[in-house]
Amino acid sequence: MWYQDSFDVIVVGGGHAGTEACLAAARMGCKTLLLTHNIDTLGAMSCNPAIGGIGKGHLVKEIDALGGLMAEAIDHGGIQFRTLNSSKGPAVRATRAQADRLLYKAYVRNYLENQENLTIFQQPCDDLILENDQIVGVSTQMGLKFKGKTVVLTVGTFLAGQIHIGLNNYQGGRAGDPASVDLASRLRDMPFRIERLKTGTPPRLDARTLDFSVMQEQPGDTPVPTFSFMGKTEHHPQQIPCYITHTNAQTHAVIREGLDRSPMYTGVIEGVGPRYCPSIEDKIMRFADKESHQIFVEPEGLTTHEVYPNGISTSLPFDVQMDLVRSIKGFENAHITRPGYAIEYDYFDPRDLKQTLESKFIQNMFFAGQINGTTGYEEAGAQGLVAGMNAACRVQGKEGWTPGREQAYMGVLIDDLSTLGTKEPYRMFTSRAEYRLLLREDNADIRLTEKGRELGLVGDARWQRFCEKMENIELERQRIRGVWIQKDHPAAEQLNPMLKNPISREANLEDLLRRPETRYQELMTIDAFAPGLDDKQAAEQVEIQIKYAGYIERQLDEIDKKKRHEGTLIPTDFDFSQISGLSNEVVAKLSDARPETLGKASRISGITPAAISLLLVYLKKHGLLRKTA
Amino acid sequence: MSDNSANKSLTNIETIAAQATPPGRGGVGIIRVSGPLASHAAEQLLGKVPKTRYAEYLQFLDANKQVIDQGIALFFKGPNSFTGEDVLELQGHGGPVILDMLLKHIIGLDNIRMAKPGEFSEQAFINDKLDLTQAEAIADLINSSSEQAARAALHSLQGDFSNLIHQLVDDVIHLRMYVEAAIDFPEEEIDFLADENVSNSLNGLITQVADVLAKAQQGAIIREGMRVVIAGRPNAGKSSLLNALSGRESAIVTDIEGTTRDVLSEQIHIDGMPLHIIDTAGLRESPDKVEQIGIERAWKEIKQADRVLLMIDSLQDEDVDPTQFWPEFFNQLPDNMGLTIVRNKADISGQVCGYKVSHEKPTITLSAKTGDGIDALTEHLKQCMGYEGNAEGGFMARRRHIQALENAQQHLLTGQEQLLSFMAGEILAEELRITQQALNEITGEFTSDDLLGQIFSSFCIGK
Repeated sequence: MWYQDSFDVIVVGGGHAGTEACLAAARMGCKTLLLTHNIDTLGAMSCNPAIGGIGKGHLVKEIDALGGLMAEAIDHGGIQFRTLNSSKGPAVRATRAQADRLLYKAYVRNYLENQENLTIFQQPCDDLILENDQIVGVSTQMGLKFKGKTVVLTVGTFLAGQIHIGLNNYQGGRAGDPASVDLASRLRDMPFRIERLKTGTPPRLDARTLDFSVMQEQPGDTPVPTFSFMGKTEHHPQQIPCYITHTNAQTHAVIREGLDRSPMYTGVIEGVGPRYCPSIEDKIMRFADKESHQIFVEPEGLTTHEVYPNGISTSLPFDVQMDLVRSIKGFENAHITRPGYAIEYDYFDPRDLKQTLESKFIQNMFFAGQINGTTGYEEAGAQGLVAGMNAACRVQGKEGWTPGREQAYMGVLIDDLSTLGTKEPYRMFTSRAEYRLLLREDNADIRLTEKGRELGLVGDARWQRFCEKMENIELERQRIRGVWIQKDHPAAEQLNPMLKNPISREANLEDLLRRPETRYQELMTIDAFAPGLDDKQAAEQVEIQIKYAGYIERQLDEIDKKKRHEGTLIPTDFDFSQISGLSNEVVAKLSDARPETLGKASRISGITPAAISLLLVYLKKHGLLRKTA
Repeated sequence: MSDNSANKSLTNIETIAAQATPPGRGGVGIIRVSGPLASHAAEQLLGKVPKTRYAEYLQFLDANKQVIDQGIALFFKGPNSFTGEDVLELQGHGGPVILDMLLKHIIGLDNIRMAKPGEFSEQAFINDKLDLTQAEAIADLINSSSEQAARAALHSLQGDFSNLIHQLVDDVIHLRMYVEAAIDFPEEEIDFLADENVSNSLNGLITQVADVLAKAQQGAIIREGMRVVIAGRPNAGKSSLLNALSGRESAIVTDIEGTTRDVLSEQIHIDGMPLHIIDTAGLRESPDKVEQIGIERAWKEIKQADRVLLMIDSLQDEDVDPTQFWPEFFNQLPDNMGLTIVRNKADISGQVCGYKVSHEKPTITLSAKTGDGIDALTEHLKQCMGYEGNAEGGFMARRRHIQALENAQQHLLTGQEQLLSFMAGEILAEELRITQQALNEITGEFTSDDLLGQIFSSFCIGK
């Protein structure tokens, strides 16, 4: 049976990718359907209750800059906020917040329910409806069919999930939810390359059975940071601390004795786990000389006693989990509320996707989130937004868009995935970005909001605030270039203690601010320089833009140089073996990755500049040399 | 930003420079500069931009305005030039040292870099300066010249120099690992930026780069010219051939003591172009340990050669393909290695001396003893040099390496300043990233994922 209405964009899956995808499409005015197997789990955090961190916080700010929900939701659901790397430079500072799962989830669900142009329907999706190589709709478990011009698949961990606790294993999505097996097997019949990954979670504990007095308290920062550029500290609920404890020799002994029943060490699990998030048994085996490992004891919310002991993810049998938990300081009497487990799941080789996250094989079908081999809510949300936006562009007959590597971590993420693929659950790190000094949390809006407005992603309130901020920055930069001070000026007496070397000749405020030791707010306490900006975000920009100026310029230069053939398109069905002179190895690598552009081709490991030249000459010879938009 | 790129033409926004004539002591050596900064380079080198399309006789200056050379300077305004960009051509005396000094000055200017092998032709082709029918020839040129460049780079990276560079790269990676881990994993109790180890390692690196640079600039490491290795069975007449070849131009022969007791190398010049002739131990199965080592070294030379002269006895039946009677040799020979068959002892076999192609291989019949046919061989080698020696000589390779090292040095120093004065870890990280990028040009790529791999295998990361 066909559902009465047809949709512009159908989003399958209501996780963090699905949420941002359907919201983006709806904001752009598309008639959008969110199809989820369970409305009650919309906005659920299936892993640890936290948003942000280095690299990840950057992604959240970018989602926010494009009008997305994640930053706003965590501002309303966050119970401990910190700025990481605050002692280092602004480029690598990142916000991280601990979430109250229920508050976060409630905020997301409420927001979705009130989004204009968005319809929500609960039914597991178990098939895709294709016409030739084009998707035209989906059908659900009870045989209901939905017609859609485009479909965004965000079915994450649920794809053919296999949960392991000790040597026992069973099919399942995240613990407590069913795995979507039908859809997985349907997708397996399509021409995609499918691989297995694995990830894990720690056992959860009952806070009433823990002794926090022997752990180290870790309070949030004051003043409390916010995530959204529109965020206010008043949005935050009550703030509470986290705690830190450690594993010890006894913990390690317990784990070693249990290894013969570990699915990891007995070869039951085949999927590849992340290098940066090893299970506790992995940590102990690989770093045998380390006597102790940190555990961050994170509250799951204000109204629950459950805590998340971050750092002891494990798939050891339950009796070993009990012993290892109780060997830890402060956990001696701990009650485990949910056992830890490892989960293996399918993912689709993201090299089969275009830069817009559309499938290279099936038109109008987009993939976003964990299904593409990433891990983390932030990575999922970022892809969701890009996929939803590009689906909407397709419907509206507009050219698709994805930020470049020089514009956003989103761009780095999607370029890495679609060019290089991934062998482990992909997580963002700042070291993945070439232009780290440009891609900062603090300027995500300056990088993206204007483009977001143009696409229809950014609402009036945000746009107005953005324009005001930009104007403040511009006016203040003009002002401080015009404020001069001579060395015999009376204000020099106030100024010189703030400087490493006292001023020796006339200088303007910009010169002074360029000195690494000066601070904008401090300089503004000098009457001759006042009044400074009340707009804190704008003031921060003025300071950072001036201090980083040389480096920013250099990175912009570097970007310009790389632009040359970056957007030169390679035809989709191009046969690389036609090009004489390319080694077999290079042909194999290119055929495997099917890069869409010369720029992407040049980033594939083992592709030499000479190979790119040969490709270029070939394209030119055959009249295929065209630029993308 | 993507909107802007749509409007940009395909033209190169970078300015590139390289030697446009084959390496060696030709009568004239040409340096070509192509791109938007070509006129800027002219001002720096000549004190003026020559009138478009007029040859002017001018002095070529170095960075301190000292005269390096004098010669003809030509300036072409794009698109009416070989590459379609603004082009400056300097035609000076052909000596490698002078050309190297000129090139050094040019690529020392901001935003001018050394051209990749074949890049001028590539540019010309992309800018419609060359016919479509020339596409294959351009492709061949890019291919052969990048292979040549790779080989020249390999030669430049011999022995000590190579060890020092690799040690340097390893140490840069090691330091980056600490710095990047401290940035990406601030909660992992590894804040090394605050640690003295970082500034100590940085100091160490700066000393190392200075050492390597000093060594590279001594020039002892690199030998200019095509390497021709004489290989064959014992007693095939290899040493006689070496004597015959070097004897002809004994006036300018410099004997270089072989690095091993049984590999002898002599430099000769043909028409002013340098050539290394390397004599090796006869190849055979031998129970003698010392001889075995000699044979091993012979193979090492063969694998690094630009061309191998395989000496066989002209008493061998000419109708049998050499690959037939000595398959083990051909199996071990690297793919695409230039090979010439030399049929020696024509004075005994009575065969006619000279050049012909036999079994699809260039074949020279001669007598090393009497000298008959040596002419044909030198003529043949000259032809080979014209093609194989076309792209990059050792000086170019070394110039690339030195430039990479100088870049690395510059960024290490800036990084150190940022760290010491301002504790700016993210800037140090940026400078180290660029340092590594520069060194990658010598040792090959090292990706951010490789770096993450190093971090995860060295530190226990992960909540």
